[in-house]
Amino acid sequence: MTTEQRVPIRIEQDIVVARQSVRELAGRLGFGTIDQSRIATAVSELTRNVIRYATDSTGDMYVREIEGPRGKGLEIVVEDHGPGIADLDLVMQDGYTSGGGMGLGLPGTKRLMDEMELTSAVGVGTTVTIRKWRR
Amino acid sequence: MIFPIVKIGNCLIATLTEDIGDADAMDLQESINTRIEATGASGVLVDISALQTIDSFLGRLLNEIATGARLLGAETVMAGMQPAVAMTLVELGLTLKGVRSALDAERGLTMLGQHLNGGGQ
Amino acid sequence: MNDTKATRDASLIENQRTTIAELETPVIEVWDGILALPIIGTVDTARAQTMTETLLEKIVSTKSEIVILDITGVPVVDTSVSRHLLETIAAARLLGAEVLLVGLTSRTAITLVHLGLDLTGVTTRTTMARGLQLAFGRLGLEVVKTRPVVTP
Repeated sequence: MTTEQRVPIRIEQDIVVARQSVRELAGRLGFGTIDQSRIATAVSELTRNVIRYATDSTGDMYVREIEGPRGKGLEIVVEDHGPGIADLDLVMQDGYTSGGGMGLGLPGTKRLMDEMELTSAVGVGTTVTIRKWRR
Repeated sequence: MIFPIVKIGNCLIATLTEDIGDADAMDLQESINTRIEATGASGVLVDISALQTIDSFLGRLLNEIATGARLLGAETVMAGMQPAVAMTLVELGLTLKGVRSALDAERGLTMLGQHLNGGGQ
Repeated sequence: MNDTKATRDASLIENQRTTIAELETPVIEVWDGILALPIIGTVDTARAQTMTETLLEKIVSTKSEIVILDITGVPVVDTSVSRHLLETIAAARLLGAEVLLVGLTSRTAITLVHLGLDLTGVTTRTTMARGLQLAFGRLGLEVVKTRPVVTP
């Protein structure tokens, strides 16, 4: 039985906590240094979105080890409860920037990971699930 | 957080640790600008050899540090990027073309050579 | 204990992967500070990543400042291949190395122009020999004939 790790995202410093804890776990699971970097960076992008755009800058990250046809992997879920993204296609375009001019980093995150799923509803919240398989 | 910025000749040297949060990164940016203005430094070396993660925020910030320094008359070199970080940055879609880069601090200082000897500006 | 075996297996796989990568991507140190990477065949995403990884490791271990990327052996240079090459060049640059792209044909040149990719800052030469000459020049080196060639 694999345990699920939960990292609450509340303040800006939690971005560093999230990416360091996921890097460490990835290392322990046997991911190489480059994949550790990819995973840590993807988590950084997603948790920063929570701090910057989520209601009360509040969200949660869940990390769990997964098994699949390709072997072992890491699944990370970053979720918040608002405000939600109105146009998913728009935010997945390279070059999209939000009001702050910084962009949501989602296309980049997708490139770094093997799988990514995004569900969002205005007024409800956003959940991003990313997976990386150990090669 | 207070970042030690060392001055050698006309060069400022800032050494980053293995991770740096957003607020600290912005503090560093401000510190570098303040020090350039106060000392008239014409070269800035940012040693990132220990840095393990550079995401889109930090990547853009490094570009900004170089641009800001240039406006204040100083040249910036980023030294010692880890291969894993370089690969990740490039896959993220960032090339940091606005900053010069060196393999390590030694090479970086060689590139800023003239500024070390008190030349430059 | 499962932990130890898993770690050992991961180590073994990592070693094997490194060996395969090295065989697929021969990065040659042609001179002190100059690396050459001749690419033969198609370049897909997986190969591009392995190639870049090996190249970056070699840049660090040899402290090379110049990389000559030879694409003479790449049959088709389309959008995806060009993007991969540009990424490799960008990554090498981040490690302080200058990349010279050699082996372009006039057809490849036209394709690259049509694709509208940002090629500013990418130095190219048509042959490896020309690339090498430029590399020597960058490092302040010169090849000088010291005595007449004696043919048997």
